[in-house]
This record gives sequence, structure tokens and C-alpha cells, in this order.
Amino acid sequence: MAASMPPRTDARQKTYADITALLGAFCFFLSALEYMVPKPLPFMRLGIANLPILLAADLLPLTWYLALALVKVFGMSVISGSLFSYVALFSLAGTLTAALAMWLARRIFGRLISAVGVSILGAVLSNAVQMGIASLVVFGDAVRLIAPPFLAAGLATGALLGVFAELFAGRSTWYARAMDETHG
Amino acid sequence: MDIFVALAAAGVIAFAAVSAYGPESGPVTAVLKGRDGEWVYPLSTDREVRVAGPLGDTVVEIRGKAVRIVASPCPNKTCIAAGAIDRPGQWLACLPNQVFVSVEGRRSDGGIDASAY
Repeated sequence: MAASMPPRTDARQKTYADITALLGAFCFFLSALEYMVPKPLPFMRLGIANLPILLAADLLPLTWYLALALVKVFGMSVISGSLFSYVALFSLAGTLTAALAMWLARRIFGRLISAVGVSILGAVLSNAVQMGIASLVVFGDAVRLIAPPFLAAGLATGALLGVFAELFAGRSTWYARAMDETHG
Repeated sequence: MDIFVALAAAGVIAFAAVSAYGPESGPVTAVLKGRDGEWVYPLSTDREVRVAGPLGDTVVEIRGKAVRIVASPCPNKTCIAAGAIDRPGQWLACLPNQVFVSVEGRRSDGGIDASAY
């Protein structure tokens, strides 16, 4: 009897894996959508592929959360064709830093910070990290010209994405069930 | 906390903007940065410059007091789609080919030629 019932922790791990897989697939899909939107300037992105990562901040423990962030970087890089170029490093560093900060912000501040604040934090931090790398690797001092519009775009798109995530989390039955399964 | 994060972000942006768009001096020039160095050309003379990058040559055209990228070996051509720039502080960039083009020098006085009362 005991052998046929998997321990509770295994069931929880399976739930985490399911959520990571589903949200990872959404990262791929949203990356494709993102790629279709023309970019007015290099670096400028809507960041919609970060929506699953934003939603996952409350659902997944850190290891699964970072795995999801890596899936997003991989998906984005495959779709934009930058996987085997150094451009993928920008995505990797920006996404991982932002993911870590967003996850920590949610754990430290809990309900004091909404998805809007978490999203702005992630977007601006991700852009700042990419500017830092651009400065070190390619553009040097010229980055000071790129930084203002790029960071401002992060604030605007981050806020919009956060509002959307907040609305989605409030209405989605899938999200409510996932919250139950991961916190119950 | 949301408001704190938003304000902190706005503060960083304001600082970045002040350090980027502070007063500059000298004539308006096109600054071309590539893998092998940096070149400065006056905007007043039309010319075409090839800047070498890891993927090949990015062709930069200076014409009619404006700069644009007319050809690039990069996959997405975002740098070409960005169009022409002519005011100090504006820039074009090709991340894959590591080319950066900016207009630098003295700022015009807000673009107003004359006013009357």
C-alpha cells in the first residue's frame, strides 16, 4: 500500500515539473510573438516572453524557477537566431539576474510588492545588466547614450506586463489551481 | 513597495539621461565605433564608410547632414531599419556586428530658429 502511494514530496516535484514545462512552452510561444513585433531600435523588446517567469515567482522554488528562466533564454535565442552567437550572453545574463531578483523580491516582501513592482524590478535590472555587458564587451563609453531610452522602455514595458500579470493571476482558474497545488 | 521600485527605476533613468545628454561642445560629428577602433567624421561632408566587424562590413552613409546604416551583414537588420540620425545624442547600433554609430557635438537650441512677439 505504502509503495503504491508516492511520497508527498515526489508529487510536489511532479507538480513543479508540470508547471515549469507548461510555462516554458509559453515562453517559446511568446518569444515567437515577440520576434514578429518590429523593433524600433536594437535592444528594445516588449518583454512579453517574461510573463511566464513573472507568474512563476509565486509558484516555483528557486531551482525550478531558474530552470524556467534558462528555458526562456534558450527559446528566445533559438527563435531570434542568436543561440550560438555572443548575443545570447546578453539574454542569459539579463534574464538570470532579473529572475533571481524577482524571486527574491517576492520571497522577502511577500504581499507588500505586487506583480507590477516585481515586473519593473526585473525589467529595469535586466536592461541595466545588458547595458553593463554591452559596455564591457562591445560599445564601451557609448553605452551612456543607449542607457536612458533603454532603461525607460524597461520601466514602461515592465509596468504594463506587471499589470497584465496581476489581472491574469486574479482571474485565471489555472493559476488558482497551481497556487493550491504548490502551496497546499 | 511597488511605488518604491518604480521611483528607484525612474531615478536611475534620470541619472542616466543627465549623464548622457549633458552639455557638449564642438562641431556636430558622426562617431563610428567598430571592432578595430573609432572614427570621427564631420556631418557636413557626404561620404560612405565601411566599418569592419566580426560578421563583415557594415556600410555607413553620411549624406545631407545625417547618418544611416545602409548595409549590414547581421541577421535581423534592426540597425538599417532604425533609419537616419542627425541630432547629437542619437545613435544606431548593430549588436551582432559590434558597430556603434552616434552623432555627437553641440546641441542645437531646441530646434527653434526664431520667435516673435
